[in-house]
Amino acid sequence: MNRLMIAVIACALAAPAMAEVVVVANPKAAEASMTKDQVAQFFLGKSSAMTPVDQAEGAPIRAEFYKKVTDKDASQVKALWSKLVFTGKATMPKEAADSAAVKKAVAADPKAIGYIDKAAVDGTVKVLYTAP
Amino acid sequence: MKKRVIASLLALPLAVPAVHAQDNAVRISGFGSGALTWTNTDRAEFGRPNQASGADKHVTTGVDSNLGLQADAPLNSWLSATAQGLVRKDAEDDFGAELTLAFAKAKLSDEFSVRVGRMGLPIFMISDYRNVGYANTFLRPPTEMYSQVVFNHLDGVDGTWQHAYGDTNLTAQLGVGRSKADLAGGLTMKGDNVTVLNLVAEHGPLTMRIGRADTKISIDNSTTVNGLLNGLRAAGSGYRFAQLNQLADDLQLHRKKASFTSAGIGLDWNDIIVQSEYAKRKIDGYANDTTSWYAMAGYRVGKFLPYYLHSSLKIDSAVANTVPGACPAGYPAACAPTLAALSNGVNRLKVSGVGQGEQETDSIGVRWDFYRSVALKAQVDRVRPQNGTGLLIAPQPGFRGPVTVGAVSLDFVF
Repeated sequence: MNRLMIAVIACALAAPAMAEVVVVANPKAAEASMTKDQVAQFFLGKSSAMTPVDQAEGAPIRAEFYKKVTDKDASQVKALWSKLVFTGKATMPKEAADSAAVKKAVAADPKAIGYIDKAAVDGTVKVLYTAP
Repeated sequence: MKKRVIASLLALPLAVPAVHAQDNAVRISGFGSGALTWTNTDRAEFGRPNQASGADKHVTTGVDSNLGLQADAPLNSWLSATAQGLVRKDAEDDFGAELTLAFAKAKLSDEFSVRVGRMGLPIFMISDYRNVGYANTFLRPPTEMYSQVVFNHLDGVDGTWQHAYGDTNLTAQLGVGRSKADLAGGLTMKGDNVTVLNLVAEHGPLTMRIGRADTKISIDNSTTVNGLLNGLRAAGSGYRFAQLNQLADDLQLHRKKASFTSAGIGLDWNDIIVQSEYAKRKIDGYANDTTSWYAMAGYRVGKFLPYYLHSSLKIDSAVANTVPGACPAGYPAACAPTLAALSNGVNRLKVSGVGQGEQETDSIGVRWDFYRSVALKAQVDRVRPQNGTGLLIAPQPGFRGPVTVGAVSLDFVF
């Protein structure tokens, strides 16, 4: 049982390192590229000029995106959003099930911004930022 | 390959609930704290500001537990409605529900929005999310600071303007309206002509705010205070002490000018957390002019966040007691005891009621983010009343403090 737990934990830790995260927007979006901090402000609720689309809670790519782009872990991000949500200043970002769903949401909305696995990039979205 | 399968299986149940999010659906979210609180004395009770009763040696759930539910409904691309209810112990001895938010919000541009209805009153650094345990580091907002304004909400209109100057985000919020709060003991506090300005600047890990609120404040239904005022006026007229009538007018809290000026700073830099606020309250009438402040520092160690907090409340000034110490020769025998009773009553006012009194607290605690959207906190406070019984509830004769308070809380959002 313990072994299994260790394997599961190791797996959860190991998985994020595999994917490369890119930030994408609608091809019609005005911006050609963005800095890390510019991307972060949409996903931390500091600007509402663009509409963030999240990946599913618990998805490895989501943890990796927030760690690399905002320097925060899931619970820090959640605490930040709680301040905005429960004062009625903002609503939590919409969640899409996976990279394909994010692409679909971004392709449908010129103001949407999302992040996906680099391997999933195609002509329906425009890459604004590539996480190191 | 096997790892991938396990990872997918693990992710599956977590991902499923998230798929439902749709564009125009009503979103239900909530927050809450399940908490136990106790102290080391049975001679006074410890509670949050405006609670009718608190914790003593018997462990209680009533001090720090609450539950909030919120519905957000987008009506179209620029208009939305929000309602929030909160269940907690406040003013009354039982858990009661209150409507904490109920507003319509019009997003007029990417930078400007207007809200109409019931909003949080933005007078503190954490004012409108002070009941959301999960959003805060400490287990409860420092009583010394957060007892200073009992109003929670603003019924009226506010406008919020957000602008980025380079890497600095500036938010300016201006609200007008009125407010009302039920106080412990069946009293009602009303704030008319409320204006509130809240300026927040965020730069990277640093947040700074300043705020100012003005109102005309009234507590009209306190039988104790009204009895004292009637007594002062009767003695003033009966014994021809004109200063007693003046004193009654000065003490009376009826549409009296009140202001609250506050500044705050927050830092969330790498693993270092700092939060501090400083505020001055000025009220014409018997409620004291006060200075309150607190400073908190914490350091993140993985999922653990131990912190230290010091907070303080001091009285700057209160209405001077002008009741004469003695009666002129030839006055009726009843004069002297009447004056003594009135003087005693006037002296008691500055330590009676919500947020009246002087107190300092040192707290240590730890927040443990052990699971997604759930945090476990433990906090120990050393509460030291100054010049009396501080902000403690129902002190028994001779009680002086200090008091040690312990609490554990499970804070969550959903």
